[in-house]
Amino acid sequence: MTNGTTEYQAKDYKSDLKPIWCPGCGDFAVVQGIYRALAAIGRPPHEIAFVSGIGCSSRIPGYTTAYGFNSVHGRSLPIAQGIKMANPDLLVLAAGGDGDGFSIGGGHLPHMVRRNMDIAYIVMDNQIYGLTKGQLSPTSAKGRTTATSRYGSLEQPVNPLLYMLAYGAGFVAQAAPTDLAGMASIIEQAIRYPGFAFVNIQSPCVTYGEEGQQIKALKAMGVTLDSLGHNSGDRLAAMDLASHYGEKLHLGIFYKNPEPPPTYGDLVKERQELLSKDALPPERILDLFIKK
Amino acid sequence: MTIIGIDFAKLTLMDALDLAILIEDEARERYEEFAHQMDRTHTPEAAKFFRYMVENETKHGQEITKRRAEHFGSAPATVSPDLLFDVEAPDYDATRAFMSARQAMQAALSSEHKAHRFFEAAAAAVQDDDVRTLFQDLRDEELTHQAMVEAEIAKLGPDDPGTLEDYPDDLAPQ
Repeated sequence: MTNGTTEYQAKDYKSDLKPIWCPGCGDFAVVQGIYRALAAIGRPPHEIAFVSGIGCSSRIPGYTTAYGFNSVHGRSLPIAQGIKMANPDLLVLAAGGDGDGFSIGGGHLPHMVRRNMDIAYIVMDNQIYGLTKGQLSPTSAKGRTTATSRYGSLEQPVNPLLYMLAYGAGFVAQAAPTDLAGMASIIEQAIRYPGFAFVNIQSPCVTYGEEGQQIKALKAMGVTLDSLGHNSGDRLAAMDLASHYGEKLHLGIFYKNPEPPPTYGDLVKERQELLSKDALPPERILDLFIKK
Repeated sequence: MTIIGIDFAKLTLMDALDLAILIEDEARERYEEFAHQMDRTHTPEAAKFFRYMVENETKHGQEITKRRAEHFGSAPATVSPDLLFDVEAPDYDATRAFMSARQAMQAALSSEHKAHRFFEAAAAAVQDDDVRTLFQDLRDEELTHQAMVEAEIAKLGPDDPGTLEDYPDDLAPQ
């Protein structure tokens, strides 16, 4: 009847800093989901590094007791990778919004996937730049009226789920604050996945979001992938379901590689062990550069 | 509202009391968060009401804690708060910036209804007579709480019609 750990509870990951999101924001539930997931994992807060970019959702590391780095716009993933390389024993999480992750930080995604570092990336996708007062974001629907698309957007939105699957990510999931227990479980599974894991969370913006994007509407739209009998080991089936992003709200794990390949950290360790046999001791390294 | 990993059919009285304490505690914490949100958005009437709910949930939690101590002393609890998801606590989307006191009260009332449904379903699912009686008592208490919130609503004057609905912000051209 316990959550599997006797040591940590969700409250242990909650910092004294109170969130300053707009009342009703989906991110309040997301941070609760993260607390629950971390409690289920059971790593102490000082062994966790939480990196974010810029935006409303990027405030999230400050609301946890983990080490936090509220970095620069779109750069959470490179910084998270650096942290993981410097201290592979840390549990590293990255988070941010759709603008931060898929626009200014979009170029980092394929490289993050191909490197396959053991990092969980949580995106709070609200289809708008909320912090800067409602501009068109990369996931805003075509035709959407925003501060920067007064007559409706002419652009096709990106499909983050399909992107990640096409890049070859080993874990791709989607959640929503409409189901806190389900969201916490998905985040937990993403953290436990040995490799890069991506979770897209449909987290509505109450201030600039449209009525059809709010929690009430999401509750009506949400369909769990389990209820569809989806096999999360089937990548092509995952891509088929992911192609409905923006039209349907599928919740759950789209794809989880049943045979996870070695992570970048594993390969680096292997390479270090291989080369260490022939490595020069530190006092002789300069010899390589000195002509005899 | 969700509770995971609990087999209600096998629930003991001590676990049931611990569960009830945690449910009150979750609601108290949520109302504290809501009061803070209302302070930040300069909505003192709603903040005041949410603080009133904090007091109520604290009081209810203390009553159940006392009952638990009388029956089971300080025996360690086996129910984790991490198993509970929004049982009596209002959902996070229940608040809005600049919500009126009436809207705050309606959010609380809706949560009291939610808690009533939960205890009714729980009472029907358990097998132990003492646990069933406890859940039925708690279910009936939720009716008292509903009446209390309804009494607060009745004390209010009519709302300004402009505060009853959300209005999307007028997006400023960039």
